[in-house]
Amino acid sequence: MRYRVLAVVAAAVALSVVAATTAQSSRAAGHTLTVWLQVDAQNGWPQVVAAANQAFESSHAGWNVNVQYQSWGDHLQKFDATIAANDTPDVIEMGNTEMTKYMAAGAFSNITADKSQFANSAQWLAGLKKSSMYNGKLYGVPYYAGSRLVTYRTDLFRGAGVKKAPKSLKQFESDLAKVKAKHRSKGFTPFYMAGTDWYSALSFVYDYGGSIATFSHGKWHGALASKKSIAGLTAYKKFFAAASPKSAATLNEANPAPYTVFSQNRTAAIFGPGWFSCCTGKKYTKVTGQFVMPSHKAGKSMPGFLGGSDLAVPAQSGSQAEARAWIADFTSTANEKALQAVGNIPNATNLLNGTVNDRAAQASWFVPTAKHWVDVENGNILRTMLGQILTGKLSVKKAAQTASANISYTLNQP
Amino acid sequence: MRSRGLPRLGWNVVGLALFAVMIFPVFWMISTSFKTTDQINSVTPTWFPLHPTLQHFRQAIHKPYFWADVKNTVIVVLVAVGIAMVLAFLAAVALAKYRFTGRKTFIVLLIGVQMLPGIGLIIPLYVLLAHVPVLGLNLVNRLAGVIVVYVSAVLPFSVWTLRGFLLGIPKELEEAAMVDGSTRLGAFMRILLPLVAPGLVATSVFAFITSWNEYVFARLLLNDQSKQTITVWLSYYTGTSRATDWGGLMAASTLIAIPVVLFFLLVQRRIAFGLTAGAVKA
Amino acid sequence: MGAAAGAAVERPRRPLVWRRVRSGSVPYLLVLPVVAVLGAILAYPIYRLVRISLEQYTLFQLRTGGIYIGLHNFDSVLHDAIFWHTLLRTVVFTAVCVGATIGGGTLIALLLVRVSGWVRILVSIGLVLVWAMPPVVAVQVWNWMTNVQNGVLNYVLTELHVGDYFGHNWFQTPFSSLAMAVTLIVWGALPFVAITLYAALSQVPHELVEAAQIDGARGWRVFKDVTLPVLKPILYILTSLSILWDFGVFTQVYLLIGQPAVVPANYVMGVYLWEEAYISSDYGRGAAISILMLAIVAVMSVYYVRRMVRVGEVE
Repeated sequence: MRYRVLAVVAAAVALSVVAATTAQSSRAAGHTLTVWLQVDAQNGWPQVVAAANQAFESSHAGWNVNVQYQSWGDHLQKFDATIAANDTPDVIEMGNTEMTKYMAAGAFSNITADKSQFANSAQWLAGLKKSSMYNGKLYGVPYYAGSRLVTYRTDLFRGAGVKKAPKSLKQFESDLAKVKAKHRSKGFTPFYMAGTDWYSALSFVYDYGGSIATFSHGKWHGALASKKSIAGLTAYKKFFAAASPKSAATLNEANPAPYTVFSQNRTAAIFGPGWFSCCTGKKYTKVTGQFVMPSHKAGKSMPGFLGGSDLAVPAQSGSQAEARAWIADFTSTANEKALQAVGNIPNATNLLNGTVNDRAAQASWFVPTAKHWVDVENGNILRTMLGQILTGKLSVKKAAQTASANISYTLNQP
Repeated sequence: MRSRGLPRLGWNVVGLALFAVMIFPVFWMISTSFKTTDQINSVTPTWFPLHPTLQHFRQAIHKPYFWADVKNTVIVVLVAVGIAMVLAFLAAVALAKYRFTGRKTFIVLLIGVQMLPGIGLIIPLYVLLAHVPVLGLNLVNRLAGVIVVYVSAVLPFSVWTLRGFLLGIPKELEEAAMVDGSTRLGAFMRILLPLVAPGLVATSVFAFITSWNEYVFARLLLNDQSKQTITVWLSYYTGTSRATDWGGLMAASTLIAIPVVLFFLLVQRRIAFGLTAGAVKA
Repeated sequence: MGAAAGAAVERPRRPLVWRRVRSGSVPYLLVLPVVAVLGAILAYPIYRLVRISLEQYTLFQLRTGGIYIGLHNFDSVLHDAIFWHTLLRTVVFTAVCVGATIGGGTLIALLLVRVSGWVRILVSIGLVLVWAMPPVVAVQVWNWMTNVQNGVLNYVLTELHVGDYFGHNWFQTPFSSLAMAVTLIVWGALPFVAITLYAALSQVPHELVEAAQIDGARGWRVFKDVTLPVLKPILYILTSLSILWDFGVFTQVYLLIGQPAVVPANYVMGVYLWEEAYISSDYGRGAAISILMLAIVAVMSVYYVRRMVRVGEVE
């Protein structure tokens, strides 16, 4: 009995130790380069990854690339754990708004001296380049970008007598009014936008010359309460009231997804990333078109939020040179062109080719590259402000002042 | 305690009504996996897809590493639950049936461990498992690492619960069963085991499902898609920055629920009422 | 051996207890594996957690190591108004969840005893399916059910003439959002409680129930005198466990409300911890919050835990 107990215990321990020490997979002889890419690559352009791996492995004998796919939403928590355990990957894909915090913490290697190693580095897109730099030094390589477009129903617009894409915001508003006049069914709005979708809403602020925050004299200053910003927010409020449903004032762009609303025939136009055209519903695929959101100044485009990703080399990686080589292979001109072919914006201006997507990238804005920007995003300061403005809870000026003060406070944290 | 006749019919109706209400979200998940994407997104909800499609199931099974990850999950969960149940039962017997110094401290510590929010331990646990002292192992990206974490996660409540079941065995049953057996620990086990079988099964079902659905630590510790568990595989559906494939997610979740239900069906007879009927002799 | 059995028969009121003389090292051997496993896995992380709570440990210090700052993290958290508001909100939230879960679970277990075999199996499978649904999937189904435009919840409530719920946004206010979270969590927690209690009920002897019924006792009396004593240890455990889990719940609330809509006004402690530790990357503060959460939940559950520990101590 006592021995039986001991036997059971011993068996359990032995089993665990055996399991722990048995190699799960035969480790390839030689070196492994660990790369963290987001699952978007596996879904959207696996051939680009394969090409990069092949190029790298053929020029680095004995090396094997292990790509480990991550999810947006928890990849940073994993990364933090690896930093603490000194177990980081050799290459990591970061969202461009995620970069600054990590650059400020010294998590990435300074690759300024190696800039020429990367294809088209002299012509990198301004927005992406900005996100890879901190204190004048380069810490990341632009990977790809995405901008914002209007996705619309060509049949409904044509049916309302709108033959050409609007050249100014004012014209767009009158076009939407025409569409509205033609379709008065309950629950249908000419334009759908989630009220608190700040990626889209703040385009209006930048269009009027305002901004979220500026850096001077060593401090960040919230700029949403400036005259220009307030003009932009007021224009947004007006546009929203005329074209979007009131019920969407406090909704965010995740739920419901604008393209879902589009596919339900509840709207004729939405504003969002270019890939929205993928999911507009089987019925409307043939009548889906896109154009760049026009500015309030006739003939110009409204700056769109330039989203995207950069690739960085963690400072703790033991394979710095190889990591840079892989990134160079991955962001080669051929690969960037392949990324462009599947609907992304490539990382350099000389690769842009005039598609509506690429045109949208010409006028863009980006968030303040501040260490604590992520805290502003996660504190939902901008969303709260937009909700207050659109529901009329606070005046534009009051809401902007509160948000601006919050942003200053947050960005100036030590 | 079993009702008969008319009262029983009444209870059956209540039972079926309960079933319908509880199962509705599950029904929604399963029916959505058979709908086309347009039906899923349509304004008027499709209650019952009249022309079910199997495309989501097909796509789910063909997504990279589906079968590999199912296999990993089965291994991890069965081993973790197996080890945990044995260890927990031993400890529960000690706590319920023996008086020894340190017993109260031990049980309070077990409860204390359970009170720590798991998400707070993510980084320290990762640091430990990446460089295990003494043994010098790296348990990151290994099934063994996840197994060990799951065993620790499941042990405290398993010990508590089994102790509770053991304490709840009416003494008459124990004594009656004891009459014909010797009193050594082994015989003790033989007597207690059948009496506590329902509790053991309920606890193992709980341990099984908790481990099966666990995500945070599986995500943290397993990097290669070939080694991940099925919850991590599932998370890639919502981990993209593009549109989420809801049909695929629902189909995959339906598939993943099947082993859990099978496991339960296999063991549920042991939770049967009336197991004690034969144990007490007149 | 024989003496022990004889002793048990002579004093029929005592639960079976082994003589101290023979125990010796056996109980220690029995608990050793559990102590070893938990010690190996949790001792160092817990030590680290406590140490981190006394350090300035943010993203920068992940590489360089923490800087000792004494109780500053605790001080900062305890002076944070958000902490207190969240705490109050979470206590109420926990009480509602636990009450509904234990109450509902007990009723379901009692129901399971009374129905025919085939209904029991059907309901059990239903419960297991509910239990087995991954949180992210359950959350999405909840989103569809509570959808402003075409959610079934609005549809049913309007049809039943409970009120006009057409176009009602269930996530408009923190109260409403958390109420939805409560329904999700209780729904997901009922199976465990119901099935565990049903297993416990199967330990209630037929004969005692029938004897009590023959004596004229009905329903509630039978439950109180015969069933409840057997269920007590399990009920204390389930209540304690429910308090622990519901107080620290994170995934369901965070996913259901959605990161874009999570604000301090609808925080629960689990979400607050996540936001402070991982989003703001202040791990020192997060560790302090974890320890405070442990202390608070210990206080909240002390009544049940003490009962639970004492249940086996009858002399």
